[in-house]
Amino acid sequence: MSKKNEIPEVDIVIDHEAGVIREVKPTNLRSKAGHERRVNGSIYTLLVIISIVWLAPFVFLVFQSFRSYLTENGGMVAYLLPKKWSLDNYTWLLTDEKSNFLRWYGNTLLIALFCSVIQTGMVLSVSYTLSRLRFKGRKLIMNVVLVLGMFPGFLTMITLYFLLKQLGLTQEGAIPGLILIYCASSGMGYYISKGFFDTIPKSLDESARIDGATRAQVFMKIIMPLAKPIVIYTVLMAFMAPWGDYVFASYVAFGSEPNYNVAVGLYRWVNVNDYQGYFTRFCAGGVLVAVPITALFLALQKYYVEGVTGGAVKG
Amino acid sequence: MNDLDYLKLTGFSKLAYKLGHFFRGIPKGFAGFLKGVGRFFVKLFVGIGSEIKDVCQTFVQGDWKTKMSYLVMGFGSFARGQWGRGLLFFLFQTIFNIYMFMPNAEFSGCYYLGKLSTLGTVATYREGRKTVYGDNSFFILLYGVLTLFFILAFIYTWRMNVKQNKLSEQILKSGKKLKSTKDDLKSLADEQFHKTLLALPTLGVTIFTILPILFMILVAFTNFDATHQPPSKLFTWVGWDNFHQLLSSDSASYGGTFGQVLLWTLIWAFFATFLNYFLGMMVAIMINKKGIKLKKMWRTILVMTIAIPQFVSLLYVSKMFAADGLINTYLMQWGWISSPIPFWTDPVWARVTVIVINVWIGIPYLMLIATGILMNIPADLYESARIDGANAFQMYKKITLPYMLFVTGPYLLTSFTGNINNFNVIFLLSGGKPLSLELSGNAGYTDLLITWLYKMTVSDTNYKLAAVMGILVFLVCAVINLIVYNMIPSVKNEEDFQ
Amino acid sequence: MASVTLEHVKKIYDKKVVAVHDFNLQIKDKEFVVFVGPSGCGKSTTLRMVAGLEDISEGTLKIGDRVVNDVEPKDRDIAMVFQNYALYPHISVYENMAFPLRLRKMDKEEIHRRVTQAAEILGITEYLGRKPKALSGGQRQRVAIGRAIVREPQVFLMDEPLSNLDAKLRNQMRAEIILLRKRIDTTFIYVTHDQTEAMTLGDRIVIMKDGFIQQVGTPQEVFDTPKNLFVAGFIGAPQMNFLKAKLIKNGQGYAVQVQGITVPLEEKHNAILAKKGVGEMDVVLGVRPEHTTVRFGNKENAIESTITVNEMMGSELHLHVSTAAWDSVILRLPTVDLDETTRSSLSYGNKLYFNFPGKVMHLFDPNTEESLLYNKD
Repeated sequence: MSKKNEIPEVDIVIDHEAGVIREVKPTNLRSKAGHERRVNGSIYTLLVIISIVWLAPFVFLVFQSFRSYLTENGGMVAYLLPKKWSLDNYTWLLTDEKSNFLRWYGNTLLIALFCSVIQTGMVLSVSYTLSRLRFKGRKLIMNVVLVLGMFPGFLTMITLYFLLKQLGLTQEGAIPGLILIYCASSGMGYYISKGFFDTIPKSLDESARIDGATRAQVFMKIIMPLAKPIVIYTVLMAFMAPWGDYVFASYVAFGSEPNYNVAVGLYRWVNVNDYQGYFTRFCAGGVLVAVPITALFLALQKYYVEGVTGGAVKG
Repeated sequence: MNDLDYLKLTGFSKLAYKLGHFFRGIPKGFAGFLKGVGRFFVKLFVGIGSEIKDVCQTFVQGDWKTKMSYLVMGFGSFARGQWGRGLLFFLFQTIFNIYMFMPNAEFSGCYYLGKLSTLGTVATYREGRKTVYGDNSFFILLYGVLTLFFILAFIYTWRMNVKQNKLSEQILKSGKKLKSTKDDLKSLADEQFHKTLLALPTLGVTIFTILPILFMILVAFTNFDATHQPPSKLFTWVGWDNFHQLLSSDSASYGGTFGQVLLWTLIWAFFATFLNYFLGMMVAIMINKKGIKLKKMWRTILVMTIAIPQFVSLLYVSKMFAADGLINTYLMQWGWISSPIPFWTDPVWARVTVIVINVWIGIPYLMLIATGILMNIPADLYESARIDGANAFQMYKKITLPYMLFVTGPYLLTSFTGNINNFNVIFLLSGGKPLSLELSGNAGYTDLLITWLYKMTVSDTNYKLAAVMGILVFLVCAVINLIVYNMIPSVKNEEDFQ
Repeated sequence: MASVTLEHVKKIYDKKVVAVHDFNLQIKDKEFVVFVGPSGCGKSTTLRMVAGLEDISEGTLKIGDRVVNDVEPKDRDIAMVFQNYALYPHISVYENMAFPLRLRKMDKEEIHRRVTQAAEILGITEYLGRKPKALSGGQRQRVAIGRAIVREPQVFLMDEPLSNLDAKLRNQMRAEIILLRKRIDTTFIYVTHDQTEAMTLGDRIVIMKDGFIQQVGTPQEVFDTPKNLFVAGFIGAPQMNFLKAKLIKNGQGYAVQVQGITVPLEEKHNAILAKKGVGEMDVVLGVRPEHTTVRFGNKENAIESTITVNEMMGSELHLHVSTAAWDSVILRLPTVDLDETTRSSLSYGNKLYFNFPGKVMHLFDPNTEESLLYNKD
């Protein structure tokens, strides 16, 4: 900042709050605004760079999915923009006899739909019970779940596989089998919705019980209508998870191609099969999976944000 | 040292004092833990003792209906008109009896229980062209554990049945009426509503989480691996051998590799947690700064990496960084490099690359959380700081950061243990590669304990070591949790914002 | 319409923390009883036990002649108003008030009749279609009360219903509760930490501290004859002054020596002390601020003190003074008869003399903190 005697003229500003007239050095004012502008400018620059980095892979993915399979082959190439734009990959995915993509898509959708219903029921039951009801063994249940949660999930994979096999729910029965294992233990993920239930005043339950409601009626008539955000969050999470699961799905459906989900099918294209031939098809498949899921997610973003921030703050 | 002395210290000596305090507290904490365990067992035995006493007393003092119930579960309830409860007890006992003493001995609980100590002795052999199957160790272990579960459940139910009789007698004696079956059903929607809600989840968790975990813990003490695969081969108990093999450092063992993988796992978890945390917070602060426009758009762009399924985004990015991928080919075309950068083939490059790409996945999540918290910081804290003469950086250091750390403390902890088990990112990006001859057990330089465990299960079918590894991962997480939970109260005392 | 009887009721948390000790009280039909005490005294816990929201650890609770220890709240025929109103946010005011009736499968016409009638009584008819969020605090509290009265319960429970309102609204609602009580005339149990509410509303007041009942009585009784130091200090505003003093025998009767003056006791009090056989002893002397007399310039038989704070309340002055023995005392002085010079002399550091007659004195045993002049039970 400049020294006092270097600035001859002085601006006069009336400070309404303090009710006084102040002398303000004009350069001071100007430089403050300038400083602000510089800071914001660099922030915008950074944000633009970040946005490019964040979006670039997705844009590339879309570009490659439109590359013509027939003229430019399906492998990875050293250029970004397709020389010939075409829907070859998409047509192949959706119509070719050798493509199981639609089947996989249907499988995954089916799993996702079932999971979003069953898991939501499980999670809400557990979280509501642990948040609102008091009974013997409540603390014990919470501690047991905490301890169980520290075991890595894949530890139990073989056991689950054999359990499912006993029930006839592997390979050809992979779809119901996967629904079963996704849902069976889903009650353990109760933390976030319990955190939400904890914020609803207890006096609502108490008041309703005095008004003559049973606990089941309190749950259905009072708490559920208020829990809409967390219900949507839970449904969203349960719906999205099956689209990304490779590990369990590939293990359970092992060898039975028609019973893969999209993740297994597409993963095998890039990593197991000759990926040079299937790369653009993978890209097209990825786009077909990502677009609806992303749209759904962005539409329900608000609930997702409420869920994660609430969950993180509560711990 | 009293509080005032402590307050006089500089930041650094405060930290030193705290750490010293923590380490001095370890022996005491450990002793407390042991004492707690001891107390638990004393309580357990006293509890069992008093239960047994009560069972005997009930028998002596009870009427004939009660006495009959000792043999036929639910008899007392039936006889006193509570047919709903009686039916449940009776059904449970019947199923238990059928399972334990099935006519076809091969599938009964007793059969598996009897073989549990050896896990089977009759090997499978070939008779000419026909295979004659012997014992199946896998099922013996699995159903053995299941049978043990069942027996425990039976003892518990039987005890409930006895208790029920005692209570009913008491209630009848005091002249009150017993609950009818209709009352029982009604109470499932009211006083006992928690039972209704928890029944299914508990059943699911017991069969699909607790049972498998116990099973795998037991597998850690067997020689179940590629050369001992049922049904053609038997496996059996081997005690602590597997732990020895994984942890000891002689040449035939995996000790050295395990140490390296564990170290990398911790380094990874540290960076994955804290790098994302601080970068995410910075992005959130930038977006939420006053005067920045299009806040919602910036947020939505970042959130894309959460929305798009990871197997699409990560697999694609992994290919982008491959030797023949977009990045390398463009860099070479532009003449910036002459040979491809070994993103996935050089250990150091690979490790750095996964950490960097994980930032791409992780920042948006933290950005959302930080945004939520930043909005909750009371504005008057900043106003008062500005009046006290703080500049932007000081405000960040003295208000924003401590507030964030305080509020997200528990989250950081779960996120750290979550990253120890962060399978997807490593698996989809590098698959644990690059491999090396210096590492045994098929491990690669970017393998975490969890991805190594996966490899052992799926590609090596080395179940015994996978089981040991699972137990060790659990121990690592448990220890970190214990330490941090014990440190958090001290953090809270100093930075109380509530 | 029913009585409520609590016999040896106890509340113990986690088998060790005792929240309510041996609570005995008979609440008569149509009586308005107020539980009052500082926070954590067990008053809310007791109310919640009556409501059935907390289990009763020991003792019996009767509503009418029925023992209700193990009866669910919904079957106790009670209604309760909560401090934070506990209105169901997702349904309209009308539905909020109809909720308890619908759960009881009441006839639609009857529900409508009762809801509109209650709304009329409380003056909330125009808000019936709104959601609770669109109402002010006072209106919400009215809805909460309305939801309770449509039930026509036997017992009406209120848990600090006015604490979330601002001071002005609180006074207004207090008056309305008195009116309401006249109209619906049922048994009321009202919990508050505010002694003014307790005094103005209750037929009887139950003063509690640390889980124990300190005193039960009409507002007049607890004001005139507080049973112990706690009650004396809790009831009345500004708080009663306590001074170290000495009880001496003075001829036939007793007198109190305090800060150099001697005040003889009244005949009535003499009789009580004599009956109890109290000898000469150190006592804590209690005098309410409004019972003191300021003696301008007249040092005769008066305690000398120095003014520390002068609070102007409008119709009266509250003078905080400190005496030679460092006791802090509040004096209450009506402003009506004060001339300008006197008023200006009542400023910081000036000397002031005050005394009080024997009949307004309360005497407490400094060890047991019990009142020496209390002669009931």
